[in-house]
Amino acid sequence: MAQYTRANAWNNGGTFDNPDLLWYAKGVGAMQARQLSDSTSWWFFAAIHGEYVSENGFPGWGFLPAPPQVPTSPTPSQGDQDLYWDQCQHQSWYFPPWHRGYLLALEAQIRADVIALGGPATWALPYWNYLGPGQEFNIPPAFTQQTLPDGSPNPLFVTARYGPNGDGNIFVPIPPVNQDVMSNDVYTGSDAVTSPPGFGGPDTGFSHFGGTSGNLENNPHNMVHSFVGGNAPDGQTYGLMSDPGLAGLDPIFYFHHANIDRMWAAWNANNANPTDPKWLNGPAAQGEREFVMPWPGGAPYVYTPQQVSSLDQLNYTYDSLQAPALVPAAAVLAERLTRLGAAAAAAKVQKGAAVTPGENVELVGASPAPLAIKGTGARTTVKLDKDVRRKVSASLLGASEAVPPDRVYLNLENVRGTHDPSVLQVYVNLPEGANPADHPELLAGSVGLFGLRKASSKDDKHGGQGLNFVLDITKIIDTLHLANALDADALQVRIVPHQPVPDKAEITVGRVSVYRQGQ
Amino acid sequence: MIYDARELARVRNPVLLLSAAAWIWLVVDPGRLMMQAHGAAACSRPAPLPASLPALLAMNPPGSLAVGWGLMLVAMMSPALILPIGHLRLRSFKRRRARAIALFGAGYGAIWMAVGGLQLAVAVAAGWLAPSSYLLAAGVAILAIVWQLSPAKQRCLNRCHAHTELAAFGVAADLAALRFGASHGVWCAGSCWALMLSPMLLPRGQVAAMAILAVLIASERIEAPRPPRWRWRGLGKLGRIVAAQARIRLHALQHRSSPTHGRPGG
Repeated sequence: MAQYTRANAWNNGGTFDNPDLLWYAKGVGAMQARQLSDSTSWWFFAAIHGEYVSENGFPGWGFLPAPPQVPTSPTPSQGDQDLYWDQCQHQSWYFPPWHRGYLLALEAQIRADVIALGGPATWALPYWNYLGPGQEFNIPPAFTQQTLPDGSPNPLFVTARYGPNGDGNIFVPIPPVNQDVMSNDVYTGSDAVTSPPGFGGPDTGFSHFGGTSGNLENNPHNMVHSFVGGNAPDGQTYGLMSDPGLAGLDPIFYFHHANIDRMWAAWNANNANPTDPKWLNGPAAQGEREFVMPWPGGAPYVYTPQQVSSLDQLNYTYDSLQAPALVPAAAVLAERLTRLGAAAAAAKVQKGAAVTPGENVELVGASPAPLAIKGTGARTTVKLDKDVRRKVSASLLGASEAVPPDRVYLNLENVRGTHDPSVLQVYVNLPEGANPADHPELLAGSVGLFGLRKASSKDDKHGGQGLNFVLDITKIIDTLHLANALDADALQVRIVPHQPVPDKAEITVGRVSVYRQGQ
Repeated sequence: MIYDARELARVRNPVLLLSAAAWIWLVVDPGRLMMQAHGAAACSRPAPLPASLPALLAMNPPGSLAVGWGLMLVAMMSPALILPIGHLRLRSFKRRRARAIALFGAGYGAIWMAVGGLQLAVAVAAGWLAPSSYLLAAGVAILAIVWQLSPAKQRCLNRCHAHTELAAFGVAADLAALRFGASHGVWCAGSCWALMLSPMLLPRGQVAAMAILAVLIASERIEAPRPPRWRWRGLGKLGRIVAAQARIRLHALQHRSSPTHGRPGG
């Protein structure tokens, strides 16, 4: 029986009538009163995720609009910084378990402060279910008020939170944010219902390179970050939630991650986490940093993914762990085979015939030069290699359960820049002059650029490679094939940001490429 | 697309074999190639120093030195190329992969051969001017240590992790592979020039020194990029891997079942 139950932040209308929110605000206030060097302070915890404490100019912590007033001194010892700070696991299969432990530690600290202030010993971290019914795609109102019921400043309010339209209206646009990821059935890898790199993220057991987010991390996680932070009205800066070096400063961060954690737990009802020792033992077993958090009352909390793999091992649960109904991979493949005209094969798959997906991944085509995303967007031509494209066509023509048809992906490679709040929508073969919104069937996917600035820095974890995105365009390719239009030399790709990119901002895509995965 | 362990193994195994072959050659026959760089230094009794440059070059044929340097390069540096070659393979058309890797190797090799020319000149001059001198080797070793700890070295190491975009078609793809190799060579040489120079100045024990430094180079290469600053840099990652794996196995032996640890029980 779990000791604590994390509840919906929208209970009691998401206002301070919800005691979970009022006590959270008081706990945040208590943590914010402590110094940067104190491992129980709000600021220290935010830096655990990522920080820009010593940077000159935005997004340096000394250059953020108050509230909150973010301190840049006194800094903790170099030893403490090396142990705790800049720890966050992104673009990795460790993304879900690292954040689970991070939430546990923050929740424990808030609870300790709540108890010290005379609050309930059962306090648990609420979650913001932006994919919930009715109003829940809006930020709970308690976060938008400048004062608490007693008139004192509200620690849950931050100035640098601008929203998808940059106007202070904070909500999550649905779509493009969705919960399609809950249909995945593979944590790391891919299949008919899971595009690469998998629900939880790619294997980064040995080397943290590649910069590709897992599917849960991409949508909803990255997009919610980018949207909630948003563009500042000055066009020069952006909201705290948009950048991993600032996000932990905004109290809504932990409610967002509680929802991501809840989605992972709900997904586990029907799907297993990896059993590979490289995942279970965490990156520390491969010589990387261990997962370690401050813990109220003394010794640090060191943990591995194995120890946080299931809520059964821990002291909390959620008031709702419902997941959407699954469509099994076999049914999806059967439907695709039918669409491609292989009805007999579809029937066999439905009856349970074994399917061996192809493991061969190879380049089909690529754009010629880096692409700058400015203003209302950009377009490029992805030239296809005739021979490899013919392999794709052949696999679609000859699709069977023994030789399943190719899956095809559009990649945005080495996306670099300084504008994390952007969300890009990527379209394939959009007719000239057409309104993208009229062609959802040509949408390859949407990507939030959360983490862009840090990933572009040569001296940061990603070595300046930027971010990489994998978008599943199998359906689009199938449609072209069925219309006898797949023998084209190229695909036209159009990239549309959700809001015009400010002039001073930089976003470049190193290369747009197409890959096949098959025999 | 996504870097995966299986694809990397396809690169890792041949590269490690190549490196092993180079090591075997160096160990079995170091004399002819290495000792001539220290002509006089290798002799156990004083010998007349070469009176002129032609005589010096006769004792140390550049061709022979170049081969020796190339072997050293393949032995010590090739394991550090597994990740960039993996990147190149993944991002290239299948039919172009061998060509791209060859061009990458050419770009990388060209930079290192140029660096090698300079370093060999230093080594030969040292062998001429200060034969049998551990002092000179010690001096260079101190320089190497200072570089090893410096933020400048960390910047070079960080840039070795740059797996950037590559043109896919035609001449542009060829140039991209060549450029990738050359720029990787530049940052690699920036990181490791001192480590490659030091063993060459030793009057004896060069191969043993190279072996130790090769382990150091590999350990540094697999470290993630970090903020540049003065710090002890070296066998950290390999040491941590060994310690962590030992701890895991010991723990498994001591505890057959796996109880949950960690605070969240209370």
